[in-house]
Amino acid sequence: MENLAIKVENLSKTFEIPHEKISTLRGAFVSAFHQKTYETLLALDNISFEIKKGEFFGIIGRNGSGKSTLLKILANIYAADHGQLKINGRISPFLELGIGFNPELSGKDNIYLNAIVLGLTRQQVNEKYKRIVAFSELSRFIDQKIKNYSSGMQVRLAFSVAIHANRDILLMDEVLAVGDENFQKKCLKVFEKFRREKKTIILVTHDLETARQYCDRIMLMRKGRIEMIGEPEKVIHKYNLQNIADAKKS
Amino acid sequence: MHENYKELIWTLAKTDFKLRYHGSVLGYAWAILKPLLMFLILNFVFSSIFNPKNTGIEHYSLQLLISIIVFNFFSEGTMAGLNSLVQKYTLVTKIYVPRWTIIAAATLNSLLIFLMNLIVIAIFFVWYRFLPSPESLVMFFFLLILTYLLILGFSFIAAPVFARFRDLQQIWEVLTSTLFYASPIVYPLSILPVKYHAIILLNPIAYIIHHLKIAITENRYAPPWETAFFSGAVVAFFLVGMVIYHKMQAKIAENL
Repeated sequence: MENLAIKVENLSKTFEIPHEKISTLRGAFVSAFHQKTYETLLALDNISFEIKKGEFFGIIGRNGSGKSTLLKILANIYAADHGQLKINGRISPFLELGIGFNPELSGKDNIYLNAIVLGLTRQQVNEKYKRIVAFSELSRFIDQKIKNYSSGMQVRLAFSVAIHANRDILLMDEVLAVGDENFQKKCLKVFEKFRREKKTIILVTHDLETARQYCDRIMLMRKGRIEMIGEPEKVIHKYNLQNIADAKKS
Repeated sequence: MHENYKELIWTLAKTDFKLRYHGSVLGYAWAILKPLLMFLILNFVFSSIFNPKNTGIEHYSLQLLISIIVFNFFSEGTMAGLNSLVQKYTLVTKIYVPRWTIIAAATLNSLLIFLMNLIVIAIFFVWYRFLPSPESLVMFFFLLILTYLLILGFSFIAAPVFARFRDLQQIWEVLTSTLFYASPIVYPLSILPVKYHAIILLNPIAYIIHHLKIAITENRYAPPWETAFFSGAVVAFFLVGMVIYHKMQAKIAENL
């Protein structure tokens, strides 16, 4: 376990999805006396894998393959039905940027709010505040309400807070999909830096080009199972073949 | 994972407090004006009915004011607690923070508003040139702590349940307005036949309000064993709330 960041063994997760949405008053009366029926969806089916410390680990797969569910279990947002999950180090608990951001607050207040939600103490935010602002390149606007920011500016601010949260393991769900090209380059530079610092990064993405460039290994998921884990080239190749086959079927 | 619970709760509560009256002209004054206006209306209507000649109660207005402010604390606190997880769903579904911190922060925000209202009570004490006895003030704060425990216990149960059953908010709204009239707020308990007193006081917020009133204005208290029993029941309810929260918390994110 020493050189592992994450070890997952026989992890399963099912969701219960009610069959009908009740939208009428009559429906509510009728259904109140009936047993509601559920469909169980096996989102993760007995999966096992390991991620090494300092690894840049990509997860790809079609929509509904269980990527985000897996990430949410790693982040402790969902509880697994059964299986073992061992995490070595402090995991960043966020999947999206700018959680807790409030449009009515200033950039400064939002930095504090977001960073404290991410697990920093006020003292730590005080120490890092200047760097966070500098990285976001928003010092001119920092006392304005963020509802007046462009969406790109908001993302920059959020990303800047996130990378200063100082975690050993970072979970990211499509964070690169937002922001312009310059910003994405900046993100990737940060990733490089994290890699040098031996931080573990788990990236869920549909952007195969980024995955190919940065990931040490990629995991391909399909219908709640692991199809393949391995070198980016091979996994992406398999994924592409699958997509072509799926397209033909439909 | 989260070592900064206290700061997290405090920051969330402070933000809520800051944003609550945001954009309104009167701002924080609303926190005080709302119960005050309610008091003025009810006082106008009922103070002549429940005058000292009819009831033998000298400080009806003062009692009414205290009752309204404490009940307001209870209804706002429970409602905020109940809503907390649904309202802040991004903190539940997009990140992991211990969910109880979100619930606690919401009730803390109501506590802050209530503390502002205590200033109003203090001003009225001066206005009526009324000096409560030291022991009644001790009782006052003791009962307020119990009120807060009641709010917390309720919120720990209601917030995760509300994530799943969205009817709960409507139900609780109706129930709190029922509780308002089922508690001796506008009327003194003494106008009811004695045989109903026990039933009325089974409702914990009615019990608290009744004893707050008689402690502050009449310097009367329940027997110590009764107070001890009631406190024990409230603490037990709070603990049950924690246990139920603990059992439900794993599924909160899925239910939202």
